[in-house]
Amino acid sequence: MAMDCAQFEEIVHELERVGTQGFAHRAEALAHAESCAPCGVLLDKVISLDFALDSLAVQDADEHAPARVQAALLAEFRRQHAEAARPRRSYGYAAALAMAAALILAVAIEAPRWIAHKTSVNVAANGSGANAPPKSGAAVNDAQMPANDGNSAASESEYATNFVALPDADDPGTLEGGTVVRVTLTRAALASFGLPVADMSSTDRIPADIALSEDGVPQAIRLVANADLDQSN
Amino acid sequence: MTEAVELTDEALIARMVDGDEEAFSALYRRKHPSVYRFALRMSGNRALAEDVTQEVFVALIRDAKRFDPAKGAFAAFLFGIARNHLHKRWELDKRLVPSGLGNESANGNGSRNGDHFSIAIQSGAVAGNGNGNGASHGPIAGLPEEFVSKETVARVRKAIATLPENYREAVILCDLEELSYDEAAVALGCPVGTVRSRLHRGRAILMEKLEEQPVIQRAPAVGE
Repeated sequence: MAMDCAQFEEIVHELERVGTQGFAHRAEALAHAESCAPCGVLLDKVISLDFALDSLAVQDADEHAPARVQAALLAEFRRQHAEAARPRRSYGYAAALAMAAALILAVAIEAPRWIAHKTSVNVAANGSGANAPPKSGAAVNDAQMPANDGNSAASESEYATNFVALPDADDPGTLEGGTVVRVTLTRAALASFGLPVADMSSTDRIPADIALSEDGVPQAIRLVANADLDQSN
Repeated sequence: MTEAVELTDEALIARMVDGDEEAFSALYRRKHPSVYRFALRMSGNRALAEDVTQEVFVALIRDAKRFDPAKGAFAAFLFGIARNHLHKRWELDKRLVPSGLGNESANGNGSRNGDHFSIAIQSGAVAGNGNGNGASHGPIAGLPEEFVSKETVARVRKAIATLPENYREAVILCDLEELSYDEAAVALGCPVGTVRSRLHRGRAILMEKLEEQPVIQRAPAVGE
């Protein structure tokens, strides 16, 4: 089908551009320009423009930014990647240190009380000869609990979550021995162990059991609640 | 590193994200000239073109993951960043008016100096070298090809510099940097049809401008 002048003008600028309508209809366009003087003149101008633009592109082909730009960018690249590596490491160390400090503090505060209490419980158990608390149960009747008579009835009124391994805990399969201590921790401290905690602003302290490996390194934590207290609340 | 040079843009970017400095260098060497030329032709200012080039690659260093091959070619992505930085710079410095490109005297020596890549061509005429051949419009017959080419290039450079921005960037990207309509659309953030119409309009304006300027201004004869 013959091309008209309007169609020719529509595509004349893209006759050499691969993938365009102009390129697809190049033959018809050239045929039209052969038979139409004004379009032939227009085609000449477009070809001249293409030539000029090509010449400009060739002349500028060697244009590039000075070497100092590359030097500055390489410095920025090194700085950026050095920074990207550093914070991850420091945040990891900071979190581990904070966690360890919190645990040490908690254990330091609570351990003497727990030992004293355990002694009294053992004494009571030995004295009565009944229902000596299990190993973990020894921690249940912690000093934070009501200063009751320390008997095993208290442990029956408690419930606890499962132990949750701490982030830097050893492989449970490799652990031998160890012990569980009862501590009370602030909500913020619990959150630092990765436990979901609501109302971080609260200043009340939450009882928890911490499992220590034989060498005293905290391995896992669980929350403890006293049913009697909960019911009374 | 030969290996880095042979890698695709995408592969180099992946390595760069992992901290491979050689990959970044290869990517920069491969891509920065076109970014620099784009900024230079858009602004007419070498210092600004340097700054924009640097800013484009700093942005790449900081957030290379922003590039999504599914959305377009890497070159188009870089041109898009360059364009944004140019606009920011122009907003910051309203005094900066894109000037003519190429501080080249029309005597064909192609020399450029100073910060501005502007043309030492007076409006309406190229200052000829006084050969006085009297040639004027249209294709130039009888002149050395090299001379004609440089004259023509100087005129086109100036004409492009005076195009409205929308048309100028379409012509620069599609005609000088040889991006496809699709790639230019990504760089310019507009539909393909808009790129096409801007390019056609820009080229039409260029032809008008070039017609207005005689190729060679005839030198006055002695006593004339």
